[in-house]
Amino acid sequence: MRVTLKSWDPAPIAPEKWFLCLGSEGRGRGPCVGQDKHTHTHTHTHTHMQMSFRATWSLVLKKVGPGMRGMHSPGSAANSEGKMPPYTNYHAQRSYPMPDEPFCTELNAEQRALKEKEKGSWTQLSHAEKVALYRLQFHETFAEMNRRSNEWKTVMGCVFFFFGFTALLIWWQRVYVFPKKPITLTDEWKAQQLQRILDMKGNPVQGLASRWDYEKKEWKK
Amino acid sequence: MAYPFQLGLQDATSPIMEELLHFHDHTLMIVFLISSLILYIISLMLTTKLTHTSTMDAQEVETVWTILPAIILILIALPSLRILYMMDEINNPSLTVKTMGHQWYWSYEYTDYEDLNFDSYMIPTQELKPGELRLLEVDNRVVLPMEMTIRMLISSEDVLHSWAVPSLGLKTDAIPGRLNQTTLMAMRPGLYYGQCSEICGSNHSFMPIVLEMVPLSYFETWSALMV
Repeated sequence: MRVTLKSWDPAPIAPEKWFLCLGSEGRGRGPCVGQDKHTHTHTHTHTHMQMSFRATWSLVLKKVGPGMRGMHSPGSAANSEGKMPPYTNYHAQRSYPMPDEPFCTELNAEQRALKEKEKGSWTQLSHAEKVALYRLQFHETFAEMNRRSNEWKTVMGCVFFFFGFTALLIWWQRVYVFPKKPITLTDEWKAQQLQRILDMKGNPVQGLASRWDYEKKEWKK
Repeated sequence: MAYPFQLGLQDATSPIMEELLHFHDHTLMIVFLISSLILYIISLMLTTKLTHTSTMDAQEVETVWTILPAIILILIALPSLRILYMMDEINNPSLTVKTMGHQWYWSYEYTDYEDLNFDSYMIPTQELKPGELRLLEVDNRVVLPMEMTIRMLISSEDVLHSWAVPSLGLKTDAIPGRLNQTTLMAMRPGLYYGQCSEICGSNHSFMPIVLEMVPLSYFETWSALMV
């Protein structure tokens, strides 16, 4: 599914490149490779299956501890001890969009020069440089972060599958397990029962007998 | 007795049950109001993109949602207590009937004037006559005069049972070694069914109670016959 990106949005990162920035050993991320050289082609046309696979796999790669904490509280003070970058989870928190630490912490010479240039007037920065600075600071753009997914289809599919499976179990139970129904559930008996209840005027105020017209011998309209 | 697709309580046969019906309406309305409010709030929560993660305190809403439930609870408690006290009013019953719970039948004693004792077993499904109610009919019904206050003394010979007749608003535990009293007053003639309401063993579901409320003359004839 393609995400429609605005013209100024930086180029989406190829999924395999995400791993380079994740720092799976928990030591910090390592150099952030220049991210403005990637192409548009294959990134967001992944199916929801591949996306969720990568999410699970990236969870597996992360260590428990600082990694897990990073999932639930990006940018919190607790993160700094593990030196994990804030956006280590695949779906960054919409409710905490500006973490304290930048995404890329180890910068090469070129990137450090760019950070120096950033200290000056921003009108001097070219568009590509602004995009590069954004990518140093943040993992994903808002558009990327808020993109829809196809997860709901998987969820609904599983739900309906289990409905169907349960229905099969219940049908099998009805055929092979349940005993014979008692005689009182036959139509004839139910009719006689109803007649008896009407004769004894059971629930005549607002219930069953109140709905029977005793003069006309039919249900009240 | 209950009828198919019944939603509410059975029609009231005694004045107390009438009061309980209205109280149930009142309380259920409150419960529906609260539930729909909660459902509405949940739907609001689930359909917004806005987030707010920096709440420090919320004194006004906290006060409201403490005071308002307290008021609602008082509005429920006052009618409830009124009915509770109404059940215990002095009413000078004209007749006293004792019922003992056994595993798994009820026995009844009418000892005011003569010595009348009988057991009341459920009729098994195979022996039902056409049109009778399964698991509810008994061989000897409790015949009582209608429109008269009757004192019921309830106890048990073995384990806990509970003598319940929903359409009269009655449910009283039958406790071995203890006499519990309740007051019975039916405004209409007819058959009124109930079932044992305290787990008492394997046939707990198969020891029903059937009251046959009849005019006083019929009751006198019946009790003369039974003795």
